Amino acid sequence: MDTTVYVPVDGTRAVRARDLTKTYGSGEAVVHALAGVDVDFAAGEFTAIMGPSGSGKSTLMHLLAGLDTATSGQAFVGTTDVTGLNDGALTKLRRDRVGFVFQQFNLLPMFTAEQNITLPVELAGGTVDRQWFGTLVETLGLTERLTHRPAEMSGGQQQRVAIARALIAQPDVVFADEPTGNLDSRSGAEVLSFLRRSVRELGRTIIMVTHDPAAAAYADRVVLLADGRIAGDITDPTPESALAGLDALRTLEPDVSTGTTPAVPGAGA
Amino acid sequence: MATTTTAPSTDAPGSSSGGVPAAGPKGSSLPTARYTLAQMRRSAGRLTAAGIAILIGTAFVAVTLLAGNVITRATYDTIAARYADADVLVTTSGTDWRQDVEAIRGTDGVAAADAVRSAYLNLGDGSVFAYAEGIARPQDSRLMALDLTAGKWPSERGEIAVPDGLAERLHVGIGDETQVYRWVTTDPETGDGEEVTEDVRVVGITQDPYNAYASSGGAVVATPADIDEWADDPVPGGTFEIAALLEPSALSGGEPTPAVRDALDAAVVSGGKHSVKTVDEHAQQVSAERTGGEDLVFLVFVLTFAAVALLVAGLVIANTFQVLVAQRTRTLALLRCVGAGRGQLYRSVLLEAAVLGVLASLGGVLLGVLLAQTALFVAPRFDLGVPLPAAVSITPQVVLIPLAVGTVVTVVAALAPARNATRVAPLAALRPAETLSVRRGAGRVRAVLSALATIGGFALVGLGVYFGTTGEVQLGLAATVLGGAVSLVGVIVGTVFWLPKVAAFLGALVSRTGPASRLAAANTLRNPRRTSATATALLIGVTLIMTMTTGAAAARETADDTLDETFPVDIMVMPGAGEVPPSAAGTVDGVDGVTDVAEVYAADAELPGGEYLYLQGADLEDLRATVHDEHALDNLAPGTILLTQDDMENLGVAAGDTLEVTGTGSAVPLTVAETSNMGLSDVVTLTDLRKVDPEATFAAVWAALDPAADPATLLADVQDAMSDQGVFVTGPAAQRAQFEQVINVMLGIVVGLLAVAVVIAVIGVANTLSLSVIERRRESATLRAIGLSKSQLRGMLAVEGMLIAGVGAVLGIALGLLYGWTGALTALSVMGDVTLAVPWLDLGVVLVVAVVAGLIASVAPARSALQASPVEALAAE
Ligand SMILES: Nc1ncnc2c1ncn2[C@@H]1O[C@H](COP(=O)(O)OP(=O)(O)OP(=O)(O)O)[C@@H](O)[C@H]1O
Ligand SMILES: [Mg+2]
Repeated sequence: MDTTVYVPVDGTRAVRARDLTKTYGSGEAVVHALAGVDVDFAAGEFTAIMGPSGSGKSTLMHLLAGLDTATSGQAFVGTTDVTGLNDGALTKLRRDRVGFVFQQFNLLPMFTAEQNITLPVELAGGTVDRQWFGTLVETLGLTERLTHRPAEMSGGQQQRVAIARALIAQPDVVFADEPTGNLDSRSGAEVLSFLRRSVRELGRTIIMVTHDPAAAAYADRVVLLADGRIAGDITDPTPESALAGLDALRTLEPDVSTGTTPAVPGAGA
Repeated sequence: MATTTTAPSTDAPGSSSGGVPAAGPKGSSLPTARYTLAQMRRSAGRLTAAGIAILIGTAFVAVTLLAGNVITRATYDTIAARYADADVLVTTSGTDWRQDVEAIRGTDGVAAADAVRSAYLNLGDGSVFAYAEGIARPQDSRLMALDLTAGKWPSERGEIAVPDGLAERLHVGIGDETQVYRWVTTDPETGDGEEVTEDVRVVGITQDPYNAYASSGGAVVATPADIDEWADDPVPGGTFEIAALLEPSALSGGEPTPAVRDALDAAVVSGGKHSVKTVDEHAQQVSAERTGGEDLVFLVFVLTFAAVALLVAGLVIANTFQVLVAQRTRTLALLRCVGAGRGQLYRSVLLEAAVLGVLASLGGVLLGVLLAQTALFVAPRFDLGVPLPAAVSITPQVVLIPLAVGTVVTVVAALAPARNATRVAPLAALRPAETLSVRRGAGRVRAVLSALATIGGFALVGLGVYFGTTGEVQLGLAATVLGGAVSLVGVIVGTVFWLPKVAAFLGALVSRTGPASRLAAANTLRNPRRTSATATALLIGVTLIMTMTTGAAAARETADDTLDETFPVDIMVMPGAGEVPPSAAGTVDGVDGVTDVAEVYAADAELPGGEYLYLQGADLEDLRATVHDEHALDNLAPGTILLTQDDMENLGVAAGDTLEVTGTGSAVPLTVAETSNMGLSDVVTLTDLRKVDPEATFAAVWAALDPAADPATLLADVQDAMSDQGVFVTGPAAQRAQFEQVINVMLGIVVGLLAVAVVIAVIGVANTLSLSVIERRRESATLRAIGLSKSQLRGMLAVEGMLIAGVGAVLGIALGLLYGWTGALTALSVMGDVTLAVPWLDLGVVLVVAVVAGLIASVAPARSALQASPVEALAAE
């Protein structure tokens, strides 16, 4: 198991997918959620995954993080093939090397912000790195909120706690599935700039799924997904270039290999 | 449906407050029913555990009722057995019974008839005796309840047929002679009389397959002429029975026709009251008279435990519905948004409860019948000595009572949750799920009621203890039991206020052991109401069991102390029918396991005041070796006499005084010394006894046993060794064993009955855990995503289960100790100083069982928590 401390080196691939496929159902009702995806995510980079609804963004993320099992192909975190890991190894991977941020925040209601943040370290039986904790709390602006419970915090604050929780174990990569989906545009912008600061200032690697071209513009790179395949790649995106990329996906339809029709892009369309 | 056009009418309160044109109650009940059933189907899994709780409770009731029926049936059968195949019994005053028998034999439709007469006989040959009931050989063999296994029925005077058991006891076989002794009253005025002996010959051996004469020790059959002579004439004012066998033509559907009943009634010659009954009617009447409501006592006793089980089941149900309503808050709010009235939601929850109650109760009745039938099926393998019916008799009560009770309990338990459902505001549908909660905290009324009941109840218990210790046991027990019940209700009602605090304390202890435990402790506390309701269900059973075991322990200890003070030694061989021979000491000493013996001599002596003493004396060293009560002998020395405090008071002396004891010779001065042991009062040394009476006789053997050996077995060994001496062998071991057995059997029965309530409560723990697991699916998935391992998740739920069960058990044990002690003080103070003991072993067993049950209760919920894939759970809204 790769336990080396993260050293941000430009060009190192933090996460890779090789011919990754995922199918649901069988026979008539078969759905190719992912149809052979090859993609690399560089370490120390903030990548956004965009695509129409149902294009397989969440599925890709779940497979990369070992939350779900692939039908075929491989997914690597660093040099570890997560598709070949058993539950124990996956649990260890989630503890040490992968962080999550969810659209629904998913904080534990009975714990305070601080307890929520430190939970992953405790579950792993480790001791909290107080210096790193301080840095995170300060960067995310949570110093005043540490003793509050989720019910006493706004959505944006809850999501920042969730981000701190995802980063506390200094993972190789943080996956965020529509982290701003439940936030208004101001809290959303706040959360996004915190994510970008985590990458720029704290040297983290973040892969984020979003529908919002404006959100995607905070990233260093946008990977476009359509019908379970990689359909484009934009470096240093702007809201306009991201939107243009999404629009271009529409002209690709209809795809012959699957019966699904790309839906209208969500926000920003 | 055709009812959709029903005009608006007066509605249930609140149903129009939704601000939506509500349909009338008739129109609205159908959609409600459809919605309810759909909701139930969706929640089927969540309702299962609650259903099982009710199912077990109703099965308990059904089995009890069935057992009652079986007992009744068995009683009837035993009563009816002696009439064999007779169809009717004609009961007359018996003044002209011979004419009555003839008249009935002559009635149309009667195949055979005989008087039911018996004589009480003493049979034997001078060395062995046995009492038996003597009956006449009937006119028709179908009226004979006994079977002939060898020889023939008596046909001439002086011939008898005896039951096999009696033949063995009397050492007689076919052809052997024996004698009948009977008392013949010569002067009815004074009751004087003489014993008459007659020679009889055994011609047949019988068997009693239906135990018809089991209660009188077996029946000896003789010719009617002999029985006529041996039996007493009917007492004036009594009743006399004639059993009759009817022709098939006189029966319809197994019952005598009205015509034959009338004819029999008319045939009776004797004056006074008479009646014609079927044998079954007679059995019913006799058993009602004989048991005098004993069946009812049995039913009430067992049904009390069934009620406890149902109460616990009710708590589980209430908890389930409370959780269901909380989990459906969003759905309920949505329904309110689209126009459902409060009344509709209220009725919907109650309907759900009613359907659950009916289904579960039916299941319970079915289970009960199966269990009872299985028991009857296996029962014949154990020789119970009672004829049991082959199949249970399913009367309407057996089905209807459990069904009604189960349904009512379920619906009543759902009343509060149903009220909560009506309190859900339509606005709740718009709020995020995490912040939703159904009514937190508990009302002030509840707090006041609980406090009053608890304090009042315990005050009453205190009063009961006071009465008990001052000798008013009946009054004390009544007060203690009533106070105990009231305070327990108070405690149960109030658990929601303080039980979470105990849980928090235990949780804080547990959370030190790791992150999974910390999660578990936090989970247990996030919903105090749910936790206390679940733990309370267990608390009830544990409290009652602990009360019983504590009370039993106190009874045991108190009895031990009393026995130790009565018996100074392990075994005493005392004069019985014969004197204790001097050789007895050697015989007893020779028994394996007897360590020491003392030869005890005795003499009568007189005091100056004219009082008589029965002095016992033995060698001081032998006494020291045999008496087990360490300090009871401390004061005995040459020249002293041991007396208990009580005896000293009776004689008006004090320790240190000198008593002038006169035996056969001159007065011997003896110094009074105190002993605590009643059995050692009036004991002196052998030398002193000889001074009082040089001819003092050998009176008894006292023996000490090897402490490692089983005293009851050794007692039997000593009894065997002394069997042909006509002496009486006793000891505290025998008494203790007997007493112990009574206590253990009673405790076993009561704990067994209470165990049902505990099982239901454990199901309740599993239920709460699985409901929580369903509710926390997304949370569990998140935890898994951030690094909670499978075994940690399992561990978390296990700790939750053990915590809830542990809290219930710890509090139940504390309460049980309290009730057990107060109960023992009340009931046992008359026996002497009550020893209050903590039954550590039972306590440990109860605690371990409860905690392990909590652990087991977490297995199924943990499995379902692990089954859900993290992705699915995260996607679920
Ligand atoms: N459990 C499942 N069973 C069957 N099909 C599924 C399942 N989960 C996802 N799918 C299908 O797989 C495809 C990809 O789903 P996925 O959730 O990855 O899309 P997405 O890009 O995240 O969409 P959105 O933007 O709406 O979140 C969809 O067509 C979806 O219907
Ligand atoms: Mg998605």
